[in-house]
Amino acid sequence: MKINKTLLAIGAISVLLFSTPVMASGGGAALSHAEIDVTNQKQIQRGLMVFADVCMGCHSAKYVTYRGLMDYPEIGLTRIEVDELRGQNSLLTGLISDLTIEDAIISYGVAPPDLSLVVPGRRGGADYIYSLLIGYVHDPENKVPEGNFNAVFPGNRIAMPDPLSWLEHDESETAELKQQANDVAAFLAFIADPHQNERRAIGFWVMCFLVLLTLVLWRLKVEVWKDVKH
Amino acid sequence: MADQADQSRRNFLYIAAGGLGAVAAGATAIPFVGSMLPAADTLAASKTEYDVSTVEEGQLVVIQWQGKPVFVVNRTEELLKQVDGHDDKLKDPNSEAIPAVQAEWMETPEQRKYRAIKPEYLIAVASCTHLGCIPLYKPTTGRKDWGDSVPDDWFGGWHCPCHGSFYDISARVSNGSPAPHNLHVMKYKFISDTTVLIG
Amino acid sequence: MLDKMMKTQLFAWVDRRLGLEEIIKSQLTEYPAPKNLNYMWNFGSLALLVLVLQILTGIFLVMYYKPSAELTQGGFTVAFDSVERIMRDVNFGWLLRYMHAVGASMFFVVVYMHIGRGLYYGSYKEPRELLWIIGVIILLIMQGAAFFGYLLPWGQMSFWGATVITNLFGAIPILGEYIGQILVGGFAVGDPTLNRFFSLHYLFPLLLVAIVGGHIHALHTVHSNNPEGIDVHKPEEQINFHPYYTIKDAFGVAFFLLFYCYIVFFNPQLGGYFIEVDNYVPANNLQTPAHIAPVWYLTPWYTILRSFPDKLMGVAAMGGSLAILFVLPFLDRSKVRSARYRPMFRLMVIMFFIDVIVLGYCGHSAPTSVLKVVGQIATAYYFAFFLLLPLVNKFDRTKPVPEGI
Repeated sequence: MKINKTLLAIGAISVLLFSTPVMASGGGAALSHAEIDVTNQKQIQRGLMVFADVCMGCHSAKYVTYRGLMDYPEIGLTRIEVDELRGQNSLLTGLISDLTIEDAIISYGVAPPDLSLVVPGRRGGADYIYSLLIGYVHDPENKVPEGNFNAVFPGNRIAMPDPLSWLEHDESETAELKQQANDVAAFLAFIADPHQNERRAIGFWVMCFLVLLTLVLWRLKVEVWKDVKH
Repeated sequence: MADQADQSRRNFLYIAAGGLGAVAAGATAIPFVGSMLPAADTLAASKTEYDVSTVEEGQLVVIQWQGKPVFVVNRTEELLKQVDGHDDKLKDPNSEAIPAVQAEWMETPEQRKYRAIKPEYLIAVASCTHLGCIPLYKPTTGRKDWGDSVPDDWFGGWHCPCHGSFYDISARVSNGSPAPHNLHVMKYKFISDTTVLIG
Repeated sequence: MLDKMMKTQLFAWVDRRLGLEEIIKSQLTEYPAPKNLNYMWNFGSLALLVLVLQILTGIFLVMYYKPSAELTQGGFTVAFDSVERIMRDVNFGWLLRYMHAVGASMFFVVVYMHIGRGLYYGSYKEPRELLWIIGVIILLIMQGAAFFGYLLPWGQMSFWGATVITNLFGAIPILGEYIGQILVGGFAVGDPTLNRFFSLHYLFPLLLVAIVGGHIHALHTVHSNNPEGIDVHKPEEQINFHPYYTIKDAFGVAFFLLFYCYIVFFNPQLGGYFIEVDNYVPANNLQTPAHIAPVWYLTPWYTILRSFPDKLMGVAAMGGSLAILFVLPFLDRSKVRSARYRPMFRLMVIMFFIDVIVLGYCGHSAPTSVLKVVGQIATAYYFAFFLLLPLVNKFDRTKPVPEGI
C-alpha cells in the first residue's frame, strides 16, 4: 500500500488543528484534575451522600431514579437505604429538589440547573466540576465585590454560594474538601452516562474481534490479489 | 506446489473471513433486537406493590398490574372451607396445566388447593382464560344470591358473564366452561407482613 | 461460494422470475473495473455502509424517540427526556444512540474523502459529469438530513443552530419570509418545527437510498475512473469487481470499523466534535450559548457565510459555494484527468483541501479579528479555485499520461 505523503500531511495538519478540546474555562484559571474512578462504588456512594445532603437542597437530578440507585451496580444501595432517602416518593421518581424555581430565582437570581448531565454539559467535564467546587477562593482583585467569586466559573461571578462552605478552604480542611469535591464529581460523572463501564467493557471485546477480522480480511485480500498482475 | 499451498491458504482465509463475518452480523443484531425488549423503566413499572391489609374480610378488590386487572380477595374462614369437595367438577384442580396458572411456590397439595401464599389472600389475574373478560365475583354457594346465573350446586367463586365460564373460590375453572385454564396466579411475594410485590 | 449458491435449484427458481443471474454477472462477477484502483476508491462502499447503519439505527431509535417540545420538569422537554430514556432505560439504547451520532459524523468524513478522491483524480470529467452532479445532490441531501436530525434532541445547540440557519432564509428577498415560516411552522423554532424536521429527517435518508441507486447506475454506465485518469478498455487492464474489489472493500470496511467502533465505545463525544457539549444542556429559547458553531461538518460553509458583512451576500455566497460544485465539470475542461499529470492543478487542489480545513477551523472557532480575515482569504481561495480552472488549463504544463496501467 503506497500511502500518499500529501494525504498524510493534510491528515496531520487537521488532527493538530482540531485536537484542542477546550480545557481552560472562561473563568481564566486552568482546571485542576479530578481524581475520580467511575467504577469505584465507594467513591460514587460518598458522592451520592454529598449530593443528597448538600446539592439536592437546590439542584435536581431528575434522570436518576431511586430505583436506579439500587439497580446500578456502581451505586448499589440497598432497598432500606433507598427507602430512607426517598421518603414518600415512589421508586420510579427522579431525584427532585424541594426548591421551586420561583423561590430559587428570588433567592439566587437564577434557577439551579439539573445536574443529571452537568458533567458532559460543561467544557472541562468532571475536572470543571471539581475545580468549581474547590474554586471558591478569596477574590484577589476584588472582581466580584458583592456576589460569589469562583476561580473557574466563566466571568467569575457565580450565583451559587459555596456549597461546601463549612469546609473553610484552609489547610486543615483542604484534604476533606478535595475529597468531597472529587466524590461529587465522580457521582455526577457516573450518572451522566450510567452504562459507560458496560460500554467500555463490551468495546474491549469488539476491538479485539475487529483487529482479528481486519487481519484476516487483509491476508485474504493479499492472497486473492496475487492473481492480478499489478 | 506453491499453488496448492496458496489454494488451501485461500480456502482457510475465505472460511475464516466468512465465519468472522457471520459472528459480526449476529453480534450486531443483538443490540438491535434487544432494544425492542421492554425497557428498564417499563420493567420497573412491571412490579406493583400492594398493601393487602386494606382489603376487608370477604372483600374483593381489583387492582392494576402491568395494565391488567388483578383480583385480591380476603377470604374468610367460611370461604376457605369452600375449596374442598368438588375436585371432580374442575378441569385442573391441581393447577398443573400451564406454568401461568401454577406459581413456583405451589408445591404442597394445600398450596395448590388454596392457590395462595397466605391462604386468606388470593391474588389472581382477573382475566377469564377464555377471551379475557373480567369474571363476576359470586362467592356464596347455591342459588340464593345469584339466581339462575349459577348451577344449583354452585360451589362459590366467579362466573364470567361473556360466555359462561365458572371458577371456584380458588379461581379454578369448572368442567363445561369455555375457558381452558384456571385464572392465572402470577409470581408474587410478601415483602412484609402486609405488603405484596406482584410481578 | 457465490457460484455454489448460483447453481442451486432455489436460485434457478428466483432467477427465472427476477433475472438475478444476469444482474449478478453484469454488476459483480463480470463487471469490469480498472485493476489499479487504490484505497481512495474504498470510500464509496464505506459511504453506503454508513448510510445503511444510519437508517438501521435510526429506525430502532424512532421506536422510542418522541418528537415533542412540550416542557417537562427542570426545563427539559419530552424529546430530550426520550433521548435520555434511550440512553438509560432502553436495552442497548445507549449503543444505538452513540452509533447514530458517531455515524452521522463518520458519514461526512467518508463522503468528504470520497469527494476529495473525485477532485484529485478528475472523476468528475467527461463522461462522468452526471455521476458527479448526482453526487453533489447526495451531498446536499446529506447536509439537509443532518441539519434536520440535529434539532431532534432539542439541546441548546439543536435549538440555536436551527434558529440561526432558519433565520438565514429570511435574507432571501421577497420569498424569504414565507420560506422561513414554512420551514419553522411558526414565528420561532418550536414544537411545529420539531415535528416537521422529524418527518423530513426520516424522509431524506430514504430519498438518499433512491438517489444512491441512481449514482451507482450512473457509475456502472461509464465505469470507474482510476488513479492515472486514463481510459481503461483493454481486458488485461481490467479485473472483475467480484472477488477482487468485493474483498478489498470488505477489508476496507473492517479497517473503517476499527475507527468507528473505537470512537463509539471509548470516546463517542470525541472531545465535543461528534456530540457537542452544549447539546447536553436543554434548549432555552431565552439564552443563547456563549459560543454557537455548527457541527464540524458544516463549519466550512459557516465561515463562507460569515465572511460577508451583508447578510444577503453571505447567504448567496454560501449557496454559491455549493452551487459551484455542480458546474465543476464544465469549468475544468482539461483532457487530462488525474492530478498526477497536472502539476499546477495538483498544487491548487491540494491547497483547496487545506483551504477547506482552514475554513472549517475558522467556522468552529470564535470569530476573532484575525480569524475573520483568515476566513475571508480562505473563502476567496475557495471560489478562486473553481473560477480559475479555465485559466489553469491554459497554463498548466501537463505531463504525458501513460499508455496503459
